[in-house]
Amino acid sequence: MKNIVLLPFVIILSACTGTGDVLESSTVVIEEKGVESKAVDAIVRDESNFNWSDLTKPFTQANNTTQTSVKAQALAELKASDTNFTLYFSYDGTDIGDKATQEIIKHANFMRDNPAVTLRLEGHADERGTREYNLALGENRALSVKEVLSLYEGLEDRIKVVSFGEENPMARAHDESGWGKNRRVEFIYK
Amino acid sequence: MKLVKLFVVLAVLNLGIAQAVLEVTVVKKDENAFPIIVSAFEWVGKGAEDKDIAKIIQANLERSGRFNVVIPKAIIGKNIDTQHWKRQNIEAVVTGNIEQQSDKIYTLSVRLFDVYSNKQLFTKTTRVHVSGFRKVAHQLSDHIYEALLGESGSFNTLLTYVTVTTDARGNKEYRLNISDSDAMNVKSRIKLKTPILSPVWSPDRSYEHKKIAYVSFENGQSEVFVWHPYTRRKIEKLPRFDGIASAPSWHPNGKSLVLTLSKNGNKDIYSYNLADKKLTRLTHNSSIDTEASYSPDGTQLVFTSNRSGQVQIYIKNLTTGKINRATFEGRYNAKAVFSPDGKSLAMVHRVDNDYRIAMLDIKTKDLSIMTNSQLDESPYFSPNGDMIIYATSRDNKNLLSVVSVEGNRSYELSSQTGEVREPNWSTYLEQ
Repeated sequence: MKNIVLLPFVIILSACTGTGDVLESSTVVIEEKGVESKAVDAIVRDESNFNWSDLTKPFTQANNTTQTSVKAQALAELKASDTNFTLYFSYDGTDIGDKATQEIIKHANFMRDNPAVTLRLEGHADERGTREYNLALGENRALSVKEVLSLYEGLEDRIKVVSFGEENPMARAHDESGWGKNRRVEFIYK
Repeated sequence: MKLVKLFVVLAVLNLGIAQAVLEVTVVKKDENAFPIIVSAFEWVGKGAEDKDIAKIIQANLERSGRFNVVIPKAIIGKNIDTQHWKRQNIEAVVTGNIEQQSDKIYTLSVRLFDVYSNKQLFTKTTRVHVSGFRKVAHQLSDHIYEALLGESGSFNTLLTYVTVTTDARGNKEYRLNISDSDAMNVKSRIKLKTPILSPVWSPDRSYEHKKIAYVSFENGQSEVFVWHPYTRRKIEKLPRFDGIASAPSWHPNGKSLVLTLSKNGNKDIYSYNLADKKLTRLTHNSSIDTEASYSPDGTQLVFTSNRSGQVQIYIKNLTTGKINRATFEGRYNAKAVFSPDGKSLAMVHRVDNDYRIAMLDIKTKDLSIMTNSQLDESPYFSPNGDMIIYATSRDNKNLLSVVSVEGNRSYELSSQTGEVREPNWSTYLEQ
């Protein structure tokens, strides 16, 4: 699996010099890193499928470039760790189990360690039932996750919740093999 | 030279039509469908075409499932041989003629003849502008339907629906479409890369006031918009709180609508007055309340809620404020709408693992399941209450189906090029 990774060393090095060169050299360098990059879990969203241009706009913009690259590095580390970026739910369910709570705690720690990151929680539902009810259900799933994260001080205001109901399925199969993957909340950091 | 030009224009028009028009397939008809002759109309004047008026009437009556339309080989004029048609078991005959008055103005005369009583049931003569031919054809269809069956037709009405197409690269395009009740005369002006949900016609009868409320994700989250398809007014965005705004539905007066808003994550139903822009909260519950819809007299509100722990239908009496649960059969009932007579609800009802359309008699609580596929949704009554339009799936593709409330008649509206979903049927249009 190919993965795009930032080259953090160049950036940090130049950031440390504290000279006027910082801005110039902090231009983000992106390199295709193949075999040695740890495969990202399949639950991370397939970006090729995601082309809703308006959703890729950051919802907070007050970050300078240095912060952005530090953030990007931290995020790359989190992605390379065994942290799940998608949590799954039972039919019509919004409950967070023990395992999911463990995952949420990892995200809470990440957010606490990286005060500049903001998080969008995207709630989704499977195709069964009505579209409007599923839109509400998707929001409740994302809100359940936010509730756990908000137990940590200072996180609540950095989390935005959106729901796409059944409109943006991850899997196409029209049986439990697909539905189970579609009843989900995705963690998307900015 | 002139002829060549005309052909070019037609070719261009055809291209447009091939992309947007739905295919209509009659699936099931009444066993005792009314046998009727609808002749092509006599044409008096230059050219030689009847502008498809007879064809539209033939298709309308046939689609309703209540008529067996026979199209005679030769045009039938004013003299009708009743004995001949009686022997062929035909019960009524429709004939007509069109006379050109000026470039764009025509006089249209239509006669409906009852074969058994040997009587003319009506003659209608009207002057029509060429742009009004479709509308007149739908009005005449309603007149014929009512004269023979004693009930109102639903032909002079409009549909709205969402189509979804996917290009070779997997990018989706969502269109909000409006069409005549026969799925012709399609206009699709709203085209987005993000989903469109829940379009619903306002109850206004004039084109000037007709509006469509719908849900769009174009700004990254669900928001409710109001579109005025027949005026140049800008699309209005309704207010929202911090979460979803969705599930719009009109008050019968057309001046306000109900929608679902989530404030502090709590999804409740609010009414919004378009004139004074005032929001009024109608439900107060920590569970999901959504998919609200008014009774035809505006005194009751039906909605979906999971307040019992299951997804069920509730009715709020807007006079007393009292909320009663309406559905007790099955573990999942959602998206209910009132029938035009206010006596029944159509809804999505879960049977085992399938989601089907069911009708509930509000008084007796009798529930009848109308459909038999796996993922049926978005039911809505035709304005005469005779049929229910809904979205269904076949080969994992959405299409629309229309079933009579008795279940004995049905037809489908499908797209060759994509999916069709989220249907809604307008009230009657002004005459």
